[in-house]
Amino acid sequence: MACGAGQSRMAMHLSRSFRALAALLCAASVAACSHSTSSSGAGASPAPAAIKIGIDLPLSGADASVGRSTLNGMLLAISQANAKGLPGKFKLETMQLDDAVQGVHSPEQGVSNVKTMIADPSVLAMLGPYNSNVASAEIPVTNGAGLAQISPSAVSDGLTLGADAATLRRNNPAQNAFFRVCTTDSRQGSAAAAFALKFGWKKAYIIDDDETYGLDLANVFEHDFAAKGGTILGHDHIAKNTQDFKSLLTKIAATKPDLIFFGGTTSTGAGLIRQQMFDTGLGKVAFMGGDGIPDIATVAGPRADGTYYTLAAPNAQKLPSAQAFIKAYEAAYHKPIGPYSANAYAAAQVAIVAIEHAIVAAGNAMPTRAQVLAQVAKTTDVRTPIGPISFDANGDVKQPVLSLYTIKNGKPVFLDQINLK
Amino acid sequence: MHEFLAQLVNGISLGGIYALIAIGYTMVYGIVELINFAHGDVYTLGSFFSLAILTALGATGELHGSVLVIDVALSLVGAAVCCGLIGVLIERLAYRRLRNAPRLAPLITAIGVSFILENVMQAWKGSAPLPFPDVLPNPTFALGPVSVSMQQLVVVALALVAMISLQIFVSRSKTGKAMRAVAQDRQAALLMGIDVNRTIAITFLIAGVLAGIGGFVSGVYYQSTWFLNGFGAGLKAFTAAVLGGIGNLPGAMLGGFSIGIIESFATWKLGGQWSNVTVFAILVIVLIVRPSGLLGRRTQEKV
Repeated sequence: MACGAGQSRMAMHLSRSFRALAALLCAASVAACSHSTSSSGAGASPAPAAIKIGIDLPLSGADASVGRSTLNGMLLAISQANAKGLPGKFKLETMQLDDAVQGVHSPEQGVSNVKTMIADPSVLAMLGPYNSNVASAEIPVTNGAGLAQISPSAVSDGLTLGADAATLRRNNPAQNAFFRVCTTDSRQGSAAAAFALKFGWKKAYIIDDDETYGLDLANVFEHDFAAKGGTILGHDHIAKNTQDFKSLLTKIAATKPDLIFFGGTTSTGAGLIRQQMFDTGLGKVAFMGGDGIPDIATVAGPRADGTYYTLAAPNAQKLPSAQAFIKAYEAAYHKPIGPYSANAYAAAQVAIVAIEHAIVAAGNAMPTRAQVLAQVAKTTDVRTPIGPISFDANGDVKQPVLSLYTIKNGKPVFLDQINLK
Repeated sequence: MHEFLAQLVNGISLGGIYALIAIGYTMVYGIVELINFAHGDVYTLGSFFSLAILTALGATGELHGSVLVIDVALSLVGAAVCCGLIGVLIERLAYRRLRNAPRLAPLITAIGVSFILENVMQAWKGSAPLPFPDVLPNPTFALGPVSVSMQQLVVVALALVAMISLQIFVSRSKTGKAMRAVAQDRQAALLMGIDVNRTIAITFLIAGVLAGIGGFVSGVYYQSTWFLNGFGAGLKAFTAAVLGGIGNLPGAMLGGFSIGIIESFATWKLGGQWSNVTVFAILVIVLIVRPSGLLGRRTQEKV
């Protein structure tokens, strides 16, 4: 490993105690290197008429169950497109990279994956990532390279909106290369606050995981819940890799909340918090979060019941346009769809339609990344399982739909959905 | 006041788990001067073994009566024995040949073993967090103004019993004497006819047994386990060992309980995101004032 050799040569000049540290760093970086090579599985050899779509998702670790079902949605759309045939006899291939390191989604690994994709000239568009903090690390890179990036699920506001988004596009401010088929945190937080008040929960305690996604979601929920007449009892942030939430929950129990709202994902704490609520006298209190926690039952087991969550997507099972997708998915993978499978399928469809248009525009020849990006930006009414998709200038969908679910007997149960403008 | 006591109980329970792991760090450091980075993962392995045994026994929910006693005992003892043997195996395969190598070699090996254990667990049970069956009935008892749950009592009682018996073992038994002798001067101990390899193996066995007990306890207490838990818990426990004075048994216990309580109070008063900062800030201050830890100088003997 090149990085290992460089570090140990450097260590020769360092004092003895620093050597141990250098060796530690070396061991850590070697571990990271080997992780990325072992996970870059399905990289097929480039055929002459192959166009690659890069896919970056957490495929191992705590997010793997949602990561895999999201990947399957994308692969289904791509294999269907290949079966149907592309203009110019092009074939679509994928470059699938895992952004989880040691079991947790990693922004650094995401950036390294995106650089791997950019280094391959046949990669004309990328799908992913799943997580907002990974997206915010990747956007400057795809923006700089002009590679169209479509995420099925990264919902943090700052990825497309306001000053944060402008900072992310600093490498090439005139161009936006990031799009998403899901809606934003602020819409999700507002929807969650509206649902909570509708259920008669007046006093909420908020916890978040201090990550891009969780913090945004929690802040928007806090703002909207208070603005619409709810009482916020407190707002706490938790540290990474915490296992013990009993102290925090003991403190919360003393404030007697109707609802605990969690901004974050199952892997960053939702599962353990829900479980430990039962040990701290909060078992009967409602627990609510965003689209980071649909898989909470994998950690909390039977105690997941009584959890509520919003999804930044319509209920695919209820959409007529989704029935064909669900059938095809279940036939291909023999499993029910995951929380973001339909979004993933839609994201892949958008990329495929744009690539097809770009091929035609280039006279049935290999299009450039810039041509594909221009077509993605022009996306209008692509028919997908989550409804027709058109992008606005920021890369967000027009007319988003959000839905609310609860968990009963370990299974998600659809409760309600709202349309936001 | 009520909340203060409740948080104290939370802290002591958490500290009991840290203390059980910290002892393993401190014993191994005491005898071979190795920071055994794989120890946190042996602890996680303990919860995996308990989970596997409970699953094999068909225990999925709350148990009662003799079934409870038998299942819990089998799971606890099974995890302790398996982890003890794993500890011995690691020492035999990875560390023994490096005993006279430069310090850095076994240290890096320990990091390697840690990665191996993590990946073995990931391959065994998958990379997602696992629910642990909620086998223990969990009534709460009122101790004066504060309510203590059954789980918390079990955690603290098991930790205390394990630690007190260990202390007695090390200070009274012949093997314990041999351990102290090897810790003080391996060459001299060898000349006195002490089987050094056997003594070091026993140290790893005991460290593994305690980690196994810790793993079982954490499974019961949090009703969940994850293949990477050992990293965070191991780091805290190692900190506890350093805080108490590495190489010192009562120090590891004191350090473990202190860190548990500090963490609990920091979460309560400052918020969850400050708990780690507070723990390490206090560690730094203690080490500035007492570089060898809280109990580091008071006893000359290591182990």
